[in-house]
Amino acid sequence: MASKLLASTLRQTLLSKFATAHHVRPLSTAAAVAADYHEDTEGITMKGVKISGRPLYLDVQATSPVDPRVLDAMLPFYISRYGNPHSRTHLFGWESENAVEAARSQVASLIGASPKEIIFTSGATESNNISVKGVLHFYKDKKRHVITTQTEHKRRPRIRVEPQMNGGGQERGLRSGTVPTPLVVGMGAACELAKMEMQYDEKRIKSLQERLLNGVREKLDGVVVNGSEERRYAGNMNLSFAYVEGESLLMGLKEVAVSSGSACTSASLEPSYVLRALGVDEDMAHTSIRFGIGRFTTEAEIDRAVELTVHQVEKLREMSPLYEMVKEGINIKDIQWSQH
Amino acid sequence: MANVVPTRSEVLFLFRSLLRTARQFSDYNIREYTKRRTIDGFRQNRTLSDPDSIASAFSHGKAQLEIAKRQAVIYSLYAPKVKSIMDLKPCNSI
Repeated sequence: MASKLLASTLRQTLLSKFATAHHVRPLSTAAAVAADYHEDTEGITMKGVKISGRPLYLDVQATSPVDPRVLDAMLPFYISRYGNPHSRTHLFGWESENAVEAARSQVASLIGASPKEIIFTSGATESNNISVKGVLHFYKDKKRHVITTQTEHKRRPRIRVEPQMNGGGQERGLRSGTVPTPLVVGMGAACELAKMEMQYDEKRIKSLQERLLNGVREKLDGVVVNGSEERRYAGNMNLSFAYVEGESLLMGLKEVAVSSGSACTSASLEPSYVLRALGVDEDMAHTSIRFGIGRFTTEAEIDRAVELTVHQVEKLREMSPLYEMVKEGINIKDIQWSQH
Repeated sequence: MANVVPTRSEVLFLFRSLLRTARQFSDYNIREYTKRRTIDGFRQNRTLSDPDSIASAFSHGKAQLEIAKRQAVIYSLYAPKVKSIMDLKPCNSI
């Protein structure tokens, strides 16, 4: 009883006080490299940009916020159930192994596979390497070419996957290395949640996607949807704004966290190879912005993003001589550029 | 443990508890989501008449409340000093 009381008092105290408390990370080495970074209750200054609040996150693609229900499933495996799932000699190992196998079933159930067909790897890059190189190696005596598409990773039936790294023989020898129980548990929980929530999320995210596109189109001309408008994943809206340079737009949109191009090339300024493969003109590909919408995105965020984007595009177009010429009826494609 | 069909007041109490816990999330997005999902979930299950379905929906809701209570504490422990721009006063950036 006493401990219960203490816990509830502690919870109240934490909720009321810690919410405004300052965080010092005693183990963080960030201070040494973060001279450019300042954060207080007034706002954040970073890379020379001052923002009064944390930007709204519309970059929900491969990287998305962890659902609190998923985190709740993961935490016990960081705190008390820390066994190595490959340890066969004690309870810690057994319970972790059970958790990993339960997660394997959760993943399998979502995609309609058998748990035996699920191999946990570090991510998409490793999975692609294992399967593509596995096919290459399996057919190397008979066939010598692999034809793939630029835009997507096609699933290949009945592939014989082959290990790319050798070691302890975990994951049936296909992927050696200790399986990280908390991450795998999180993946399983996320899959189970996805199965349960997919219909609800899909409907909602689709309506946010429409809200975004309609909102932008209502106020701006020269807006092009990259990729199909009808047959597209609800959580993505990739737009090009004619006569606006994408990087300038991104720089002006500091309160909206979005990316240009596709995630694979987001570290470079090159327009996305995916966009070019879709047949988007080079000049339009340079103006592309990718909005990513997720389970936690709100209507108010979409409205704010529309407002900020429209404002920024209008501002940039006002400064653009190209846009002025177009308004005067000059066809940009007819212009003979000198010194090119 | 067999699923027991809850009374009307038990259901209402669960609904209010979920909304109260939702408001405690320091994170703008999680707070809004938890509120919305609670309201939509109860609305969706409004027409349930089969006692087993009612009982299982109720026990699912109770489990969700426990998760939300724990996570509201955890989120508050790691809340950034700076709030989301969505939690600040109406748009003054333009």
